[in-house]
Amino acid sequence: MSATDRHIVYEDVSKFYGEVLGVNRVTLSVPPGITGLVGPNGSGKTTLMNLTAGLLWPTRGSISVLGMTPDHPEEMFRLVGYSTQYDAFPPGLTGYQFIESFLRIHGYSRVEAEELTWKAIERVNLTEAAGRKVAGYSKGMRQRIKLAQAIAHQPSVLILDEPLNGLDPMARAEVIALFRELAAAGLHVLVSSHILHEVDLISDQVVLIHGGYVVAEGDIGGVRDEMEEQHPAQVLIRCDRPALLASRVFLHDHVVEARIHDDGKGLLVRTRDADRFYLLLNEVVLDTGLAVETVMPTDADVNAVYEYLISNGGKS
Amino acid sequence: MSDIATPTLSVSSSARRLPWGPMARQVLSVVRLELRKSFFGRRGIGIYVLALSPVLIPLIRFLNPRTFEREQVAQATEFFSYLYQIYALRIALFLTCVAVFGNMIRREVLDRTLHYYFLTPLRREILVIAKYVTGVVVTIPLFILSTLTAFTLSYLPHQGVQEFLFHGPGLRHLGAYLLVTVLACIGYGGVFLLFGSLFRSPAIPALAVMGWEGINFLLPPLLKRISVIHYLQSLCPVPLSEGPFAILADAPSPWLSIPGLLLLTAVFVAVAAWRIRGMEVSYEEE
Repeated sequence: MSATDRHIVYEDVSKFYGEVLGVNRVTLSVPPGITGLVGPNGSGKTTLMNLTAGLLWPTRGSISVLGMTPDHPEEMFRLVGYSTQYDAFPPGLTGYQFIESFLRIHGYSRVEAEELTWKAIERVNLTEAAGRKVAGYSKGMRQRIKLAQAIAHQPSVLILDEPLNGLDPMARAEVIALFRELAAAGLHVLVSSHILHEVDLISDQVVLIHGGYVVAEGDIGGVRDEMEEQHPAQVLIRCDRPALLASRVFLHDHVVEARIHDDGKGLLVRTRDADRFYLLLNEVVLDTGLAVETVMPTDADVNAVYEYLISNGGKS
Repeated sequence: MSDIATPTLSVSSSARRLPWGPMARQVLSVVRLELRKSFFGRRGIGIYVLALSPVLIPLIRFLNPRTFEREQVAQATEFFSYLYQIYALRIALFLTCVAVFGNMIRREVLDRTLHYYFLTPLRREILVIAKYVTGVVVTIPLFILSTLTAFTLSYLPHQGVQEFLFHGPGLRHLGAYLLVTVLACIGYGGVFLLFGSLFRSPAIPALAVMGWEGINFLLPPLLKRISVIHYLQSLCPVPLSEGPFAILADAPSPWLSIPGLLLLTAVFVAVAAWRIRGMEVSYEEE
């Protein structure tokens, strides 16, 4: 088996939408493990992922996934699972039906599809909601059912476009643990995010993309060190008692700033250690019974971060 | 998270059997999913109403016996031939095929769900065939039922209907109408499946086709052949008067009409499959 058959390989890949650049001259070889594809909104992450899965065709260059191409979906999509950014589902289906129906299209028998569906649903902790219509799911549940659908046929390559969007802290932790479990089993897990701290939590290696170009790739360590010192993570917590939360988080030295949101219903926190902050948030919720509606990393200054990283000042 | 065994690359034995078993299973699975999400719910109501609308006129007539109490079977034959060829075939069946087949791909793009199919180990050509089969499975039984019911209601109250049916041409007429119904679903299905893959909105092209089919009687013989209705009309047991301006052309024989229509449909479906094979999923542009 050659290296090409074990990696996701991009050879001089470009994609143009008319005269608009999607990605340009991407040459990469993605090994097994978790690879974070990171860049600001509109940088070309989704284009690269859609090219990988054959939802788009490259204008120039070629892509192979473990030696296969989307020209032969009957081979490739037995090995590839893709959770896209599209928050849309076939109408009228329950979570169970959604996964089971597409497993049947994979060619599995009813019994096999049923077994695999329940396994996937259990892995994302949606067993109790499996019989409900997906249309009635929360954003976080929809993300998890999409993830379950992508892993249900037990692929070797998992492509995930912004998979942590809309998840609460507990679900984020569980999903990240699942990614690690899958990577430890030898899968290629390609994860995109515009939140650098998110990728930091997940990835073994990182591909930094900006304006359609891959500007850096490699180990996450360098990016992480740079980030913690120069650009604290920014998180918005929507909750019922933001002032209480502010008073608790201010006691910790990694919290640089905590500001009540303009509408009075949330707290904007800047922290040098996002991991520790999320743990702290869990503790506060357990201690005080704080009702948290959403926890959302914000990218208010993320473009500045990328500019920094791709300029001479960045180590990556 | 539950403690499930780590995933491995495994394809079940039943999924590996080659080549027709798994492919047929995949097609059936697409049909099953399409029926569930598009036709067994509220989305299907409009199609059912349209498909069964040809029954309304003979039903009203049936419920009001004064309108036909002195009529003979021959008048019922004329009534049904007009009802079938002008309304059922050219309007109800036509529009139902636009709605069903024209939206097979288009609706997936609007719903942003087409990628789920594209990410399965199913060749896109087979997906197109599966979607076409779904449309045929939906429209043919609906219009068979609609035609049968309308035929029954049109003839039932007339004197001499038993004689007409069992000792006259009645059953042959019914068989011909049912054959035309099946062929119309197959033919228009192919046309609008292709249009759904070619155009962002199949409504305007569908109107153009409706106009083309409508003026078929005015077209020179060569152009008449490029229409579905030309072949279907020749199979109808009672020809309609096309008026003084009609340009006459030899009606094609059934032995030419049926294979010709099926061949034309195969070409339409093949072109749709070719279109979908090269299609990119980029919902933002829609």
